[in-house]
Amino acid sequence: MSTSRRISLAAAVWVVAISLLHLRLNTHAFDNGSSRTDRTGEFRVGFIPVTCHLTCPVNHYIHEQMQGAGGFEPVRFSGWPELKEAFLSGHLEATFILAPMAMALREQGVPIKIVYLGHRDGTTMMVHKDSDIQRIEDLRGKTIAVPNRFSNQRLIIFRALKHRNISIGEVRLVEMPPPDMPAALAVRAVDAIISGEPFMAQSEMDGYGRVLFLTKDVWPEFISCVLAVNEKLIDERREDVQRLVDGIAQSGKWLDADMGHRMQAADFTGKHYYHQEPRLLRFVLSKPPDRVKYTNLNLHRQDFEEIEVLAVESGIMQGTVHFEDYADASFVKDESTVVPYVWESSP
Amino acid sequence: MTVSAEKAGLRSAVILPLGVAGVFLLTWDVVVRFSGSELFPKPFDVGKGLVELFQKGLLFKYVVASLFRVTWGFALAVLVGVPGGLALGWFRRAHEAFNPLIQGLRPISPIAWIPLAILWFGVSDAAPIFLIFLASVFPITVAAAAAVKNVPTVYLRAARNFGLSPQQLFGRVILPATLPQILTGLRIALGVAWLVVVAAEMIAVNSGLGYLIIDSRNAGKRYDLVVAGMIMIGVIGWLLDLLMRQMERIQAVGWAYGNRGE
Repeated sequence: MSTSRRISLAAAVWVVAISLLHLRLNTHAFDNGSSRTDRTGEFRVGFIPVTCHLTCPVNHYIHEQMQGAGGFEPVRFSGWPELKEAFLSGHLEATFILAPMAMALREQGVPIKIVYLGHRDGTTMMVHKDSDIQRIEDLRGKTIAVPNRFSNQRLIIFRALKHRNISIGEVRLVEMPPPDMPAALAVRAVDAIISGEPFMAQSEMDGYGRVLFLTKDVWPEFISCVLAVNEKLIDERREDVQRLVDGIAQSGKWLDADMGHRMQAADFTGKHYYHQEPRLLRFVLSKPPDRVKYTNLNLHRQDFEEIEVLAVESGIMQGTVHFEDYADASFVKDESTVVPYVWESSP
Repeated sequence: MTVSAEKAGLRSAVILPLGVAGVFLLTWDVVVRFSGSELFPKPFDVGKGLVELFQKGLLFKYVVASLFRVTWGFALAVLVGVPGGLALGWFRRAHEAFNPLIQGLRPISPIAWIPLAILWFGVSDAAPIFLIFLASVFPITVAAAAAVKNVPTVYLRAARNFGLSPQQLFGRVILPATLPQILTGLRIALGVAWLVVVAAEMIAVNSGLGYLIIDSRNAGKRYDLVVAGMIMIGVIGWLLDLLMRQMERIQAVGWAYGNRGE
């Protein structure tokens, strides 16, 4: 055989071998038939490994344990831009997303509808333990890392400063992916960091971070992330959306019903979905227990109107769309009728 | 070879590089200890991280995933770039028409293409493969085009004098004459393809060495795994380059490298 033949053959064998190996190891292509057919007709729900999105994996896991299939496919992202683009491209039918980002996308003509909240509270502002920042007023002249310009974490700073008659021009805001924030605080590249958990608690557990405030103490019932779907999905597959929202609502009630449930959730989401230390998630979900909440997730007009005002003031929205444009509150009319999942994780 | 020359060979091939690596690891360890950093891992932590990844079966899975994406991205780039480049080198008009576009697209980093890749391909394997294709297709095209342009006119004249048909001219003159330069282009392109694997896997795929780095950032304080991912990328990139160097030894191109030291 000539040298060039040998090389071509080797290249062909390599392409086939590496492709088969990849399909075998990293995709579901070789799963047995039954579980594959279960997946058809499912839709994909985007999430980021923050506790604001915890009901997504909790719903998927419990559903899978109880019924053998998750009912939807959770797709994990590492950053907001990628998640947003996957939604825009139609790759995701539904996603957990920053509330102001969903509202701004609607304003820009994207057919997105908020159908339920993901959580309440669950955001912390951290400063370095040796920092001279003791109160919000001390943030004057400091640099604060926020997750995204469309995050409510940025808007809470606008709100908190406004209430104290401090101009936003007196602080410097920088956008930073939350996973990078603890390290940035540790080396004091920024003076304060704010994002959804567990990234903030990481710096607290490691001993160099100090809590400046929990959202519940500054903006009670704070909303960072919501569950949003493509509007087309509501028209064409309303029952599926209803099932998803019901599952999220039941998961939220399950989480808040019992601290034991939260600890179970910390274990299975840390291991199977978030790839984070269960110990860290247990810390976030229990210290204090109302650091993040998963009940009272109905959509209320006044919550969003307040966000709208701040979004316009901070320059991320024009204010041309309102609650009925970007939200559909019809899926859960009365949260008190929602029954939590009846399920316990077997140790 | 005398015994002392053999010893000298052993010294420069094995002992010196090992010595440098040892000094590097020691410096790394000492600097981390000295700085008192709790976040930055020491070499031993990274080694433990690698063992952990191996024991969980993740290391092999992730290496396979990255090699899979680079294989397809690079293969597509070869299939497009080599014939495209040869054509551009041969047909002057084509070169004049396409060269400005190629030169304009070439400097754009694959990272800048990430948003478009997600919009076009979603978050499947196709998006990173597309990014790796983009990174490697331009060096290949440019190398192939330049190789054709560099074929000495005297070869072509001689071929004409022998009355070679266009097929014969391509098979017996152009291809052998251009192959060494094309192979060098392929080697550079494979290096670039492997270089962008981290960026390409920042898209929401759930496997690969690039993903390992992103995933470890999400996991809190696992910078040992971040560095473990970096080391795996470095080692495999080095092995790929060694493999491509072997290609340069094949008979058809040996003439161009006959008197090179490596």
